[in-house]
Amino acid sequence: MTRDAPRVALALAAACAAVLAAGLAAGADGWSAPWPDDAGLVAGIRAPRTLGALLAGACLGLAGAIAQGLFRNPLADPWLLGTASGAALGVTAALALAGGGLALGAASAGAGLGLAGAAFAGALAGVAATLALAGGASRPVVLLLAGVVVGVTLGALSDLLLLRAPDALRGRQAFMLGTTGFVGWSGVALLAGALAVCLPTALRLARALDALVLGEAGAASLGLELPRLRLALVAAMALATGTAVSQCGMVGFVGLAAPHLVRRLATLRHGPALALSALAGAALLGAADVAARVLAAPQELPVGVLTALLGGPYLLVLLRRGVRA
Amino acid sequence: MSAAPTGATGATDATDALVARDVEASHGARRVLHGTSVAIPRGALTAIVGPNGAGKSTLLSVLAGLHRADRGEVRLDGRPIGAWTARERARRLAWLSQHGEADGDLPVREVALLGRLPRHGLFGAPDAADRAAADAALRELDADALAARPLRALSGGERQRVLLARVLAAGAPTLLLDEPAAHLDPPHRRVLVHALRRRAREGAAIAAVVHDLGLALAADRVVAMAAGRVVAEGAPGDAALRDALERTFDDAIRIVAVPGPDGAPRWVALQRD
Amino acid sequence: MSGVARALAVALAGAAAIACAGAPGVAVAADAPGGARAAPAPVSAVDDRGRTLRLPAPPARIVTLLPSLTETVCALDACDRLVGVDRWSNWPASAAALPRVGGLEDTSIERIVALRPDVVLAAGSTRALARLESLGVPVLALEPRGLADTRRVLDAVASILGRPRDGEALWRAVEARIEAAAARVPPSWRGRRAYVEVSEVPHAAGEASFVGETLARLGLGNVVPASLGPFPAMSPEYLVRAAPELIVADARTLARMAERPGWSGLAALRAGRTCGLGPADWDLLVRPGPRLGEGAERIAACLSALGGPAS
Repeated sequence: MTRDAPRVALALAAACAAVLAAGLAAGADGWSAPWPDDAGLVAGIRAPRTLGALLAGACLGLAGAIAQGLFRNPLADPWLLGTASGAALGVTAALALAGGGLALGAASAGAGLGLAGAAFAGALAGVAATLALAGGASRPVVLLLAGVVVGVTLGALSDLLLLRAPDALRGRQAFMLGTTGFVGWSGVALLAGALAVCLPTALRLARALDALVLGEAGAASLGLELPRLRLALVAAMALATGTAVSQCGMVGFVGLAAPHLVRRLATLRHGPALALSALAGAALLGAADVAARVLAAPQELPVGVLTALLGGPYLLVLLRRGVRA
Repeated sequence: MSAAPTGATGATDATDALVARDVEASHGARRVLHGTSVAIPRGALTAIVGPNGAGKSTLLSVLAGLHRADRGEVRLDGRPIGAWTARERARRLAWLSQHGEADGDLPVREVALLGRLPRHGLFGAPDAADRAAADAALRELDADALAARPLRALSGGERQRVLLARVLAAGAPTLLLDEPAAHLDPPHRRVLVHALRRRAREGAAIAAVVHDLGLALAADRVVAMAAGRVVAEGAPGDAALRDALERTFDDAIRIVAVPGPDGAPRWVALQRD
Repeated sequence: MSGVARALAVALAGAAAIACAGAPGVAVAADAPGGARAAPAPVSAVDDRGRTLRLPAPPARIVTLLPSLTETVCALDACDRLVGVDRWSNWPASAAALPRVGGLEDTSIERIVALRPDVVLAAGSTRALARLESLGVPVLALEPRGLADTRRVLDAVASILGRPRDGEALWRAVEARIEAAAARVPPSWRGRRAYVEVSEVPHAAGEASFVGETLARLGLGNVVPASLGPFPAMSPEYLVRAAPELIVADARTLARMAERPGWSGLAALRAGRTCGLGPADWDLLVRPGPRLGEGAERIAACLSALGGPAS
């Protein structure tokens, strides 16, 4: 069990590199060599998909680490503040508008935004609603409660929509299961952009998470203006999560498990821990994506189901080893 | 309001790091401080004692600028405490919480280093001097062996020493400590008292809320509180203060002098049966 | 803090710029047709989104993602041009033997692209559509709701195959079969209202759906009015109150229907005035494609067998 941050980073980076190589060789019919016949497929489909899974996993791992630091709770995950329910509502609304039972002519309205855009907008709207309900980011408990309320409310709204437009059910189900199968180069660019914004921001503010170890009052006594710092961290978390969910749907457990994995490997302050959580999340989701393609080839398993199947037992093991919450 | 006949009169701001005048404060709807005035002088260790619910922790929070007073004023280094920015205040004043809410996987070394945060700022990074100060504080409190371990893995006493190291590492001229001796065994209480006395000799203003009267009587000054007011203050050598203390605790204690190891009298509080 | 805000703004602008940049696509060349037609002429068709797809020649390699679209292509005598179908396509047998590319939600993009199709016929509501188009694969979004839609989709498929007249002929044949089926329905069934269940939520096929409209051609009414949409989710209470005189569902669902709490209140269920179609026959009715006429025939046969809606 290495306790050295650089060594852990190297191990995780090696895992990501292995996942990338495997992803280029994982085709629709199981393993297949990427060259020379399939060059077009590799460049156009496998490469962006694998990269997208790595980047989305990094976004989710980072967001999960921020959430666990912000709320000082090892069970916190990126979906806490209304991102999941908001994205689901956005997707349902887009599907309903695009002709899932309502006026067929309104198809173009939804088509321009696309399902990805609708999911992203919905996720951000969910977080905004949570912040509005909680009256800002000054009290973490209120923020959490507001997130729960928003989650339940938006979930109910999207269920109502489904009654009116039942054809959207199939699309929403698929979204909830999560898939990396539709990520192209534009998706990769978006994910990379989100990570390029959120990771440095979070790293700059990481010391605030360190200070929160002393508790609310203790961190305030160090001269930190916690409400604004929390708001900035919530914003970074929302952007990373929203982008990931817009490209890959609801993928559970990556955001929860990646920071735990890093904590098992090393005792770190939040700066390196956030970065390593991103790396761990990338390796996890990337591996799940490859497994989703290969395990039941030619059928493709939903990647969210795989991460849940992996994550559930892992959390069970953690519980039995006595996670000191 | 200082009611007891004590040796200390209303001290001037020049020698006092912190001065509170007629402070009233509440927790929600409940009024906790009913017009408290107290001065924390530099170069001395001031102990704040009183029965449960007297408002000691609230007073300390108000002095630290973490809890807003309903009425009255608090002056830090001569200026109203609200006039300092959060960071300036943090550089002048380090505060230790009574509750054990500090928890996390942060390595002990980094927890101690947090004390230097007001100096290098959120976006700065600790330099060699900061690290040296943090390591020295850990050594002083006999916690340097714990440096690589996560805070979460420590026992109550170990955790307390680390949190104390954080406060000492800050090198702030004013220290406000709420129950600093909690969870500490006698050898480490001695270490704590030595560390605090050393800093007081070097000019720091230190105020500590303590439950243990024996510890309080080892300080330079004692402030006794009851029901949200200061009822007595003075040096342990003042007989009037000792009488006031016994009254404050409903005569459940008796303060007597015992010969100390160096011959000078030491005051201890005995529990009456 | 303003430093952070500034950095965020700059980075967000950068991210937006990246997002606006186009994505490189994988070009897919349209093969020249090797079919029986003499000279390859450009073809075009309008899909559900109102977009016109133009191809330089009728497609020689077609992938379909809806069973009804598979059947339409085969009914138009272009079955040999199919190179890939979705997992639910099972008719005709030759199509069932083709490579599967998944369903609508777990479409294997890679498999489709590896098949180098000239056109992909899919439902409009799948994410695969956008992804395929970004890879340069021509796509037609076709998902019929009512009978008019079914005809339009049939025409669109015929257009893209370069055989618009064959499309019209096919539709006339379908309508003729429906009319013939209608003639065989016992007169006592005219105007009676039916409840058609298409999924177990329960989702019903209402007046506005192609199923409902087909039954309307047979002279049957529907307990679910058009105002509720083509396939609404119903409350059981509504159905019991509406008291349909005929229940149509697939045989397996029908067998379990009486077990649902409160459903035994449906008189039609108790009296056995039901049409439970086996899986093969059910496909005939619920696929908005060329075999709809046969589905109508099955219903007509069922109604004849039931005799009349005598209470």
